Amino acid sequence: MTAVEPVPTAVREPVVAPPVKRDRDEIFVEYTKSICPVCKVVVDGQVNIRDDKVYLRKRCREHGQFEALVYGDAQMYLDSARFNKPGTIPLTFQTEVVDGCPSDCGLCPEHKQHACLGIIEVNTGCNLDCPICFADSGHQPDGYSITLEQCERMLDTFVASEGEAEVVMFSGGEPTIHRQILEFIDAAQARPIKAVNVNTNGIRLASDKRFVTALGERNRPGRAVNVYLQFDGFDERTHRQIRGRDLRQIKQKALDNCAEAGLTVTLVAAVERGLNDHELGAIIEYGLAHPAVRSVSFQPVTHSGRHVEFDPLTRLTNSDIIHGIAAQRPDWFTASDFFPVPCCFPTCRSITYLLTEGTPGEPGFGLVPIPRLLNVADHLDYVSNRVVPDHAVREALEKLWSASAFMGTDTTQEKLAAAAAALDCADACGVNLPEAIADLTDRAFMIVIQDFQDPYTLNVKQLMKCCVEEITPDGRMIPFCAYNSVGYREQVREQMSGVPVADVVPNAAPLQPVLIDSPYGSKIVHGTDTCRDNGGGAGRIAPDSTNVGRRLR
Amino acid sequence: MNPPTPAVPAAEAKACCAAVYGSDVVALLLGDSYHPGGLALTRWLAGRLGLRSGGAVLDVASGRGATALLLAGEYGADVTGVDLSEANVAAATDAARRAGLAATARFRLGDAERMPVPDAAFDVVVCECAFCTFLDKPTAAAELARALRPGGRLGLTDVTVEADRLPAELSGLGGWIACVADARPLDEYVGILTAAGLRVIATERHDAAVATMLDQIEARLALVRMTARDRAEAAGLDLGRAPAVLSAARAAIADGVIGYALLVAVKP
Repeated sequence: MTAVEPVPTAVREPVVAPPVKRDRDEIFVEYTKSICPVCKVVVDGQVNIRDDKVYLRKRCREHGQFEALVYGDAQMYLDSARFNKPGTIPLTFQTEVVDGCPSDCGLCPEHKQHACLGIIEVNTGCNLDCPICFADSGHQPDGYSITLEQCERMLDTFVASEGEAEVVMFSGGEPTIHRQILEFIDAAQARPIKAVNVNTNGIRLASDKRFVTALGERNRPGRAVNVYLQFDGFDERTHRQIRGRDLRQIKQKALDNCAEAGLTVTLVAAVERGLNDHELGAIIEYGLAHPAVRSVSFQPVTHSGRHVEFDPLTRLTNSDIIHGIAAQRPDWFTASDFFPVPCCFPTCRSITYLLTEGTPGEPGFGLVPIPRLLNVADHLDYVSNRVVPDHAVREALEKLWSASAFMGTDTTQEKLAAAAAALDCADACGVNLPEAIADLTDRAFMIVIQDFQDPYTLNVKQLMKCCVEEITPDGRMIPFCAYNSVGYREQVREQMSGVPVADVVPNAAPLQPVLIDSPYGSKIVHGTDTCRDNGGGAGRIAPDSTNVGRRLR
Repeated sequence: MNPPTPAVPAAEAKACCAAVYGSDVVALLLGDSYHPGGLALTRWLAGRLGLRSGGAVLDVASGRGATALLLAGEYGADVTGVDLSEANVAAATDAARRAGLAATARFRLGDAERMPVPDAAFDVVVCECAFCTFLDKPTAAAELARALRPGGRLGLTDVTVEADRLPAELSGLGGWIACVADARPLDEYVGILTAAGLRVIATERHDAAVATMLDQIEARLALVRMTARDRAEAAGLDLGRAPAVLSAARAAIADGVIGYALLVAVKP
């Protein structure tokens, strides 16, 4: 049997280098759960850093692998971790833990944070049909509007959970076209809710002065009414591509009417890469110059609902907006002027405040970002700081760096004045700087940057600490990004309208081959146009397919 | 004003200091408790000093107690703070009580040149951004050394200035720098501590910390301009010159003429 050993043939061939182990091109930093953007089944996810950017990757057994950019600056992402505070337990939970996050919303007892902000969507109808609308709203005959009774029940749900609530936001659809919107505001103001925000495209505010006056009359001490005005930029192209219409004059008129009625306005820009991301500085500058405007909120377009085609690997993130602002107005801002918000997950939202004097472009204009005046990091770093320099200052700063902070509310005003006390130089030079700042705070200006998650970017880790909740007519409080990504929006619309609603799928470049139009202009996958029966979940929201609950043998 | 060379007579420096402190420009621009590097540099320094739980620490020029409370709260040290200002001692004592650290962080009134503490009583002495303001540095250094037990460590952070290399734009501020921060080059600090019988075992540069301090000065100047221009100028603050001075100061930091240093010394 022992034949002559075969002569190794390799020795006669050219020498081949032995195989060498190679490094991966990325650093693995987190293991988490997400969803399949196509079928919404819960899947394992991993977060990796590659080329100084942060990506979330996941794989669906049926639909394959998906990856999206979640933060454009890896250093900033990692640095933000310490700006994370212990959550506050709400007074009530609305659901029980059955399948785990994100299938039990909500809020379930595993949720890590109370609701800083409650949202009530009063309708699905809108007087615009924007190409970009996470709510998939428009001139639609088969949507729904809530009744006053439903609204009151939703407000009661919020109050039961919060005790004294900071802010409720009426949204839609377009809330100003709901015939009972003023009654809804009255109902909110009759409850222990400190402030009401009206989220609007401004069309009615521009054309109906009596309505604006009615809003202004309701804006009173202890019960503020503020306007959250959709405002995406100044180029005609921006308006046509994001809103489908040139609304520039309407926005101007709406703002002027608000100023006249004494209403405080936040400009809210949906920002899409290559579309209006060059207008960040101009929007801030415009806001600083307009008497009604006290804050600007930049939101990378949420690729839920209806939106233009996008590439998940190059989408805009919070750090891109922050660097964009610093690049577009270098005389005013650096990236380090912005700090993560510790009440939600710190990568979700960043904020800065400005003290200003005068009008941009005119002599004597001055602008100082508040984080340059006092050490925000020493107060809002909850991880390494076991000894807080000053508890009153921390308390003030944590109310300011919060999802419930809105200019024009008493709480935000009071806390700005309290933060001024941190400037420990009273009466130096005959100048009482804290007092001078307290006088300035009625002209303080806030800039918020918020990246809402979509079915591509959804990270359960962030979702579990979300503090912005959608209040549903059936008495749940569902984290905003779960509502828009996981299938809850479709579920609620179906329940409320009686019309089947298919799960909406992101209009992402890699998904183009499987996408078809939904009746509302968003995208769905062919064959899922009846309802949520995907992935073997028998109609359940986000059935779980992660690697849990099974033994190896 | 004379440039801040050691040739400035002590009397003149004192008069200048009195003028500056009298006008409170420093308090206005930096606050009472600011030091470059903030709590992060304090933690770094604590690491360099090998601080242990129960160790006796003296914080010289303890201000409102931020450093002392950090060392007591995070490191379990037993801290005594000494400060020249009665208001600071009261504020720090109150802060310690509110933080539940009254038992391990105490504050008393005292001058760094004549400290009300016994000899050789401390394992560690810290002094952050204050040594530069002490007029009689050799005496202050001897006091720091006296308070340390043999083998004990001094941790000092401070502004450094190469006075003879200061750019012309800053020479008008000579008085400001000479007294507000009678700051010296790093090797002079080493020399002063060595002459006091201490052995310097480590020095580090933290110049970025002083650049950040300039950012704060710039922000506060902008605020003063917005809110109280007339009163500030009456108090001697030349707001018109501020941008040129700040940019010269930034250049000086970049060139290493102005900086911030950390020193660790041990008492033999």
